[in-house]
Order: sequence, then structure tokens, then C-alpha cells
Amino acid sequence: MKLLVYSLLVLFLVISLFPTFLMFSTAFVPEGDLFNRTIEKIVSDFEAPRTVLLTRVRPIGKAFELVREEQNNFARLDPSREVKGLAFSMGSSDINRISHLIFKVRASSALKLSLCFKDIKENVEEFARLLMEPSSQWKTLRVNIDVKKLKLDVLHVSQLRMTIEGDGTLDIDDVTLVNRYPTFYNFVKVLREDYFGRYLLNSTVVSVCSVLGNLFFCSLVAYAFARKHFRMKELFFSIVLATMMIPPQVTIIPTFILMRKLNLINTYWALILPNLVTPFGIFLMRQYFEQLPLELDQAAKIDGAGDFRIFWNVLLPLSKPALSVLGINTFVLTWNDVFYPLILTTSREMRTVQIGLALYQKLNVFTWPTLMAASTIAGLPIIVVFLIFEKRIISGILEGAIKS
Amino acid sequence: MPPVLRGENVRKREKITTFVFILPWLLSFCIFVLYPIVFSIYVSLTDYSGLTWNMNFVGLSNYIRAFKDRVFLKALSNTFLFVLITVPATTVISLFLAVLLTSGIRFKRLFQAGYFLPSVISMVVISMVWLYIYSATGPLNMLLRSLGIDVPARSWLASEKTALGSIMVMDVWSAVGYYTVLFVAGLQSLPLQLYEAAKIDGATKWQIFKSITLPLLKPTILFVVSINSIRSFQIFTEIFTLTGGGPANSTQTIVHYLYDVSFRKFEMGYGSAIAYVLFFIVMAMTVLQRKILKGEQL
Repeated sequence: MKLLVYSLLVLFLVISLFPTFLMFSTAFVPEGDLFNRTIEKIVSDFEAPRTVLLTRVRPIGKAFELVREEQNNFARLDPSREVKGLAFSMGSSDINRISHLIFKVRASSALKLSLCFKDIKENVEEFARLLMEPSSQWKTLRVNIDVKKLKLDVLHVSQLRMTIEGDGTLDIDDVTLVNRYPTFYNFVKVLREDYFGRYLLNSTVVSVCSVLGNLFFCSLVAYAFARKHFRMKELFFSIVLATMMIPPQVTIIPTFILMRKLNLINTYWALILPNLVTPFGIFLMRQYFEQLPLELDQAAKIDGAGDFRIFWNVLLPLSKPALSVLGINTFVLTWNDVFYPLILTTSREMRTVQIGLALYQKLNVFTWPTLMAASTIAGLPIIVVFLIFEKRIISGILEGAIKS
Repeated sequence: MPPVLRGENVRKREKITTFVFILPWLLSFCIFVLYPIVFSIYVSLTDYSGLTWNMNFVGLSNYIRAFKDRVFLKALSNTFLFVLITVPATTVISLFLAVLLTSGIRFKRLFQAGYFLPSVISMVVISMVWLYIYSATGPLNMLLRSLGIDVPARSWLASEKTALGSIMVMDVWSAVGYYTVLFVAGLQSLPLQLYEAAKIDGATKWQIFKSITLPLLKPTILFVVSINSIRSFQIFTEIFTLTGGGPANSTQTIVHYLYDVSFRKFEMGYGSAIAYVLFFIVMAMTVLQRKILKGEQL
């Protein structure tokens, strides 16, 4: 029985965590997806029919010499017959993920082999020059590629070029570019190509301001509800509670019209102002203030403190647990909000990271690794906050839910 | 200064202080709640587009149009279907998990935190991951194929038959942890004596669950069902990010249609009418919940 319970719990845990794991681990895959990773990109093994081969590999020089030996095709470079090298077509590739090049060679005499990339603007840059020793055996060579040192357009590389100098022949086979795995490049790419850096900044500004605003204003209002006596207090408070139930979609069109009249669309104000004082915050802080002893206020009053002093110097310092619950909850809600930012911002520069991610997927040709990297960028801050403050987040939910 | 006047001054100052303290809420309430709610009613009775400032009074025709609009009716029925399936499913699974978690196991907090994690991650991020899971060559199809099951050649979200169901599964997955936490708290507040007594009487676990736990937990269950229903009626983000309401409106929901009408087709008058239909549905849910909960306490 115990075993059954534990295995069910573990099964559900796996189901519950698997998508997050999938997101993280796919973000580090260079190409393909997590289960079909393209680590080795075979540039050419010379096995395809000659006509097909010619669309991918071009000789540098007059002709193209393919040799067949024991069921295996390879290319022969021979300067004496005007085949000085090979150019492998790469379309317009981003070579940032590549860590090294692997290929097999067999030289008839001592030769120099020069390895170059060419970009779409026809710049050619050499990244390695190797000295070949004569040998009758195939040798596998590995050449590391340090993309950072290259000066040509590494985002749009059109050719990999191999040329030889000297007399004799060089046989080449199984040319393979090997991707770095795991790679951080997907994150770099997403941050550079789209405005994810800016989106993160926007989300941070909006979330931090909303948190600070909520901490201050909600407590201020809650102080009046907890400590002051005024007409219609309970009516007002039930209005506060009732507004929690109003779907935000009902208020969005007038809010949009208002923001447009005030020229606040595409500003931080539009995103922050509607969230500055939330009913949940007022409710939570009132609950907390009410269970703090009244004697504290009275002692401060005798010392001549006014309401604001009592609020700021006496009650707030004692309310750290409630304040942290409110702060973390507001942060999570604001960071994850979609509906309001989607409507109240229209320019790219003002998008929050959630909107940026949603539109990145809609508007770009994406691949899973970059999409998962973008998702990780949008999701990681909250996951980190959760791992640190798990207990407070859960207790915040219970405060809000059970008591109401 | 006569003492009476001073007393009045103090009272006046008291009033002003109180007013200053609740002012932030008053302002925010009036500007972002009261004004929009009232103004929406007016907008819903006009042909306001949102592109120009032109507003002509058209009476109830937006509401009449809504109930003749096939897409809106489809959105309405999709949303009800969504609520009717995901809410019970989420409730049953999270209650089951909560019972497991409170059965005196070790590492309770660890499991609970693990189940809870999906509910803090934003719906956009979750949608991106599930977009991958549901894709034609994604992990779900790989798993099914390895089990020898026939799989669709397209993404699960691209077919009319499977799109809404796929989104439902994702929604249940993302919501279960949150309600599990609520149920755990509910279960832990139940009186232990009753359980001791039942054990002494030789009741089986299922009997204890059925005749003690469930009845005592009824308020929590009702609470979970009602807040989850209200949340589910407002489903938007998943639809916006995953399908955009398609294919062929098979995943169109009320809020997504509201967004489509107001901010893509720019018919904000009509959009406001749809918003009000949603508002009445949610209000009806809330009132129903209040009634049921009150009846429970009596």
C-alpha cells in the first residue's frame, strides 16, 4: 500500500515537472530537438550521386575528381590537374553553435591545407592552416573553430572552403561540422535578435513598481480599515472584496479608451497604474494589522505620534511576514500577466516579456531550441522566486483563499 | 480658543487623515473599476469602433447580434464545455493528490512544491512548452509511437477534433497543483478525533473517506469548484498563444472572441456587449457560490 502511494506520488511528480525539464534541456540543444539532437552536421561524405553532390560541393579549380575505393567515395584534390580545393555550400548558416570540424585525409606528399569560411558578402576568412604529412593511411583530423575570433559575418556563412598548396594529392572524406552541446548560444541569439533584453527590463520595471506600490498603498488603505472608524467602512470593505470577483476583461475596453485619451498607451504608467492598489493586498494587510495589539498604537500616541508615524514606524515594521507574502504574490501576478500588457502596449519596445514571447512565437520562424530558450528567459525569474520563497507563496494562497 | 472648537478641529483632522489613507484605493477604484464598469454599459449600447471617436447609440442591437452570431455561440459553448470538463477533472485529481499527500507520507513538502510549480509559471511559457509537446514530431507523438499507437501526422493543436481537448489537458495539468495545496490545507483542518473513532469502529479507508472526509470537506470542494469555474470562464492566454481560436473556431472562447472583436476587428461596442455577457455569467456563478456556501453553513 505504502509502495503504491509513493509510486503514484512519484508518477505525478514526474508528470508535473517533465514539461519544465523539457523546456530547460531543449534550450541547450544546438539544433533539432531534445530527442533528435543534431550534434554532428555531416557536410559531405561524398556518397551521394554525382549530380546531387554537385549541388552541395563545388570544386575550386577546373574539375571535380571523385574516387571510388572499396565501396567508399571520396574527393581527391590535385593541383597538378587544376583541382586546388573544394567549396562546401552552407546556404546562409549561423556558425555560432559550431565547436569543431572533423574530416578524414590522406596525403601523398607534404602539403599545406587551408580552411576558410566565406560569408554571403563574399568575404573569405581562413580559420586554420594545417601541414599534412604524407601517409598511406586515412587520418581523422579535428580542427577547433573559435567563432569569436572570426571577423566575417558569422551569422550568414555560405561556404566552407578547403584548398591545398604544394605538389601531390590530398584525399578528403567525411567532412563533418560538430555542434557544441550543451550550448548557451540559443539564449544569446534570442536576446540579440529579438528585444528580449528590453522585454526583461520592461517586465522588471513594471513588476518592481507594482510590488512597491502595492506594499505601500495597500498597507496605507488597510491601516484605515483596521484602525480608523469612519462612516460606511464595512460597505467600502465589502466593495473591496467584491472587486476581487470582477473579471478584468470587463474593464479593459474603457481602461484602454482612458489610457489612449491620456496618451499613456505604450508607457510604463499604463501597465503600472491599474495594478497599484489591489483588493487582495488591502484584504491581506487589514487581516494582519487587526491581529496586532492596539496597545502598540496607544503607546505611540502617548508619545505624540500621528497616524502616519504609527503606521510607518510601529505597524509596518511588525508586518514583514504579510508584506513579503503580498510582495511575492504581486510580483508573480504582474510578471505573468498577459491580458492588460497585450492591450495597453502596441510597440515592440514596450512589450513585457510574456507578450514578447507570445509574439516571438507567432511572428518568427522559430526552432524548438530557440523557442525554449526564449521561454526559459521568460519563465526562469518566477521559477527562481518560487524556489526561494516557496513557503511564502503557498501561505499567500492559503491566506487569500481560505479566509475569503 | 474655546475647547469645543478645538475638539471639532481634531475631529475634522481625523476625518481628513482617514480620507488621505483610503484615497489611493478610492482613486484606483473609481478610475479602474467603477468608471470602466459604468462606461462599458454605455459603450456596449453604441457602435463605437475604437479607431475613431465616433459613438452612435444603437440600443440593444449589440446584445441581439451576439446571440445571433454563430462564432459567439460557438465560443460560448466551447467555454461551457471547457469549464464542465476541466473543473471536475482538476477537482478530482487535486483532491486525490491531496489525500495521498496527507496520508502520513515522508517528503510531503517536496512533493507538494513539485506539484505546485506549474501554477507559478506563466501561461505563455507553459503554452510554448506544450506547443512543442503536442507538435507533430514532439515528445507526445514519440511516446505514443513507441507504444505502437497511431498518431496524427499534424500537431494535436492543428486538428479541429483534438485542439480543444489538448488545451483542456494542458489546463488541468497546470492548475492541479494550486488546488492540491488548497485541499491539503482543508484536509489538515479536519478534526482528528472522528478518524480515531472510525478506526476503532473498524471502518475501511474508503468508508472513512466517503462518510467522514468528503462531507466535512464539502465547503473546500465547493470553494475550489467555484473559483476554478470563474477562472476557467476567463480562459484566454492559452487560446491566444496556441491556436488563436482556430482551427475553424474550434477553440474560440468568450474572452478570446472579445479580444478578437475589440482589438483586431475594432468593434469595441460589440466587444463591450460580449464583456457584459461574460460579466453576468461570472456574477451568476459568484451568487450561486455564495448561496451554496451559505446553505452549507446553516
